[in-house]
Amino acid sequence: MKRPLISTILFVIAAAVFSAEPDFQEILADIDRMGSFMDTDFSCLLTMVSQKPAESSNIQQARMYRRDREEKSVILILKPEVQKGQGYLLIADNLWYYDPESRKFAHTSLKDNFQDTDAKHSDFEAPALAENYEVVAHADSQLGRYPVYVLELSAENEEVTYPFLKLWVRKDNHLLLKAENYGLSGRLMRTSYYPSYLRIGDKYIASKMLFVDELRPGQKTQITLKETSLNPVPDYVFTKAFVERANR
Amino acid sequence: MTLLRMAARNLTRQSKRSFLLGGAIAFGVLVVTIINGLAGGFIHAASDNFSHLLAGHIFVEGREKTPSGKVVQVIRDDSRLLSVLEQTGINYEYLLKRSSFTGSLIFEGESVTLRIDGVSWDEESYLKERLILKEGSWETVRSPKALVLSEEMARQLGAVLGDLLLIQLETATGQQNVGEFVLAGIHYDPGLLSTVSAYASLATVSDLLNLAPGEYMSLGILLPDIRRMNRLADRYTEALLEAGLRLLPREKNLLGFGFFGRTRSDLDWQGMRYRVSTLNDYLSQLTQIINILNLIGLVILLILLFIIMVGITNTYRMIMYERTREIGTIRALGMQRRGVLSLFLLEALLLCLFGSAAGLSVAGIVMGCLSLVNWGLETPMFLFLINGHLRFRLVIWQVAGNVGLVSLLSLLGAMLPARKASRLEPVEALNLSK
Repeated sequence: MKRPLISTILFVIAAAVFSAEPDFQEILADIDRMGSFMDTDFSCLLTMVSQKPAESSNIQQARMYRRDREEKSVILILKPEVQKGQGYLLIADNLWYYDPESRKFAHTSLKDNFQDTDAKHSDFEAPALAENYEVVAHADSQLGRYPVYVLELSAENEEVTYPFLKLWVRKDNHLLLKAENYGLSGRLMRTSYYPSYLRIGDKYIASKMLFVDELRPGQKTQITLKETSLNPVPDYVFTKAFVERANR
Repeated sequence: MTLLRMAARNLTRQSKRSFLLGGAIAFGVLVVTIINGLAGGFIHAASDNFSHLLAGHIFVEGREKTPSGKVVQVIRDDSRLLSVLEQTGINYEYLLKRSSFTGSLIFEGESVTLRIDGVSWDEESYLKERLILKEGSWETVRSPKALVLSEEMARQLGAVLGDLLLIQLETATGQQNVGEFVLAGIHYDPGLLSTVSAYASLATVSDLLNLAPGEYMSLGILLPDIRRMNRLADRYTEALLEAGLRLLPREKNLLGFGFFGRTRSDLDWQGMRYRVSTLNDYLSQLTQIINILNLIGLVILLILLFIIMVGITNTYRMIMYERTREIGTIRALGMQRRGVLSLFLLEALLLCLFGSAAGLSVAGIVMGCLSLVNWGLETPMFLFLINGHLRFRLVIWQVAGNVGLVSLLSLLGAMLPARKASRLEPVEALNLSK
């Protein structure tokens, strides 16, 4: 009499353990944690290759400095020569673009495309998925050789670029492998792929990103991160004066 | 009358000299008239283009600040705006409710960036009276998904009637959105509008901007008489304030802050505010440029006139010496000193008037020819053109003022030799042999 009872209890516990859904909001927080550098500064060299139908590839190179704990970042364009000297300075929600031709700063938005690529300015900043989105649906799936969670996200505020997202997140380490960005009307606008990651300390940063414009067939941008570093960046880097002087 | 005839005869006696001197005056008047005409035409064309583009002469924009500090351009409830407008008794031609955005219109891989204005086709006839459809009909344009494009934009996209076009835009709060339109009308290029604007249903545009039904971005008031614009805008502003609506201060130089961008007054307030502006607020910078242009014209005129004045003084001094015996004769025949003075001055005045008339005539011909040239819409000057053509606009008092100034300076130039001639004693003058 006792053995069936114990078996039943064990079965119920096992079923409860194995069928329990993970906390998807916590997974979003994991993605945010892994992509944010709160204890150190971060810098890297960005190489962006944009392709448009009937046009030759456009290659750009930029140096990025990030100080996530203070919500500051600087991106300086290095190549092509004609765009050298252009720069972006982000402090909290304020993003300025510096034009060396006019020697003036202009306000711009994180939601705008970066230069003439398919990446948004927000793609280069620390992610804040858990704060801005709610998981409204989920499913188990397989992406390549990785078992993944497919999470459907809906924006909780109007501060984000895309109101709806669909994420493919690895089950084992919660790395984001793919994201679909949807407009307010529910139409797919862009698909982002994150095929490889670099581990820096306990952080992971996508070392390759591919952004595919779903509205303009054949238009895509591949971004590669190199020369990554967690070394401290001097305070003066995150100033307008530095952006103005750099590359002069 | 005799004096006048004598003065005219004297001018024809030395036709070559009169021609050169009159020609110099004509040239001065020609240059200044063209500059004035161009400046007047610029402001007229810009007013016309902007009132068309902005849909009105007086504008009311709603601006709502969200809790996060973002400013959203929206009029959520226009009932008080409209009731106050009725109470003030402002006579208007059209009330134009508009929502608009700038986005990328995409068709088969091609995309163009353009502004799409939401128009309430059923409620307003303003646009229908001005846009001439090349293809399509107003019936099909009334469909919620219909889009009206200029022929140039349709050509750039390679789209024809019935094609499905995608529009990528940002909502009023800045989120990405995509919509679909069906090309239902292609209109003839009406100048400035063709490159910056397309039209769709107000409800659809507001919906794409994520505004609720009935909400829109700006109310345009088109007046029958643009000259009363500022006075009526002030009256409407006062009435709105009396009705308890909270307004943002009037901004001048709105173009300087970006066409529909953030302005200084967007910074320190909370909740809902309205801003009343006029076409002049958008054009004030242009008006300054035009005023500078007019000033340059005046300076050129003064320099030319100074040179001409010196020329007239010298010429008349020479004339006086040439006609010393003649002056002695007419003085001996009974003409008074005042008569001699008047004769010289009348001669100078006639020369100046003939020169001015010639200058004005040639300016008219030059302006007429220039206005026939089609400069196209690709030129940076497109804002000042009407359908690609320069327009000249002269104000009668300005022309009269220029001619008056030329006359005055010519008289001043001739005054010294004329006075000298009038003071000649007949006997002395007759004794002088030449």
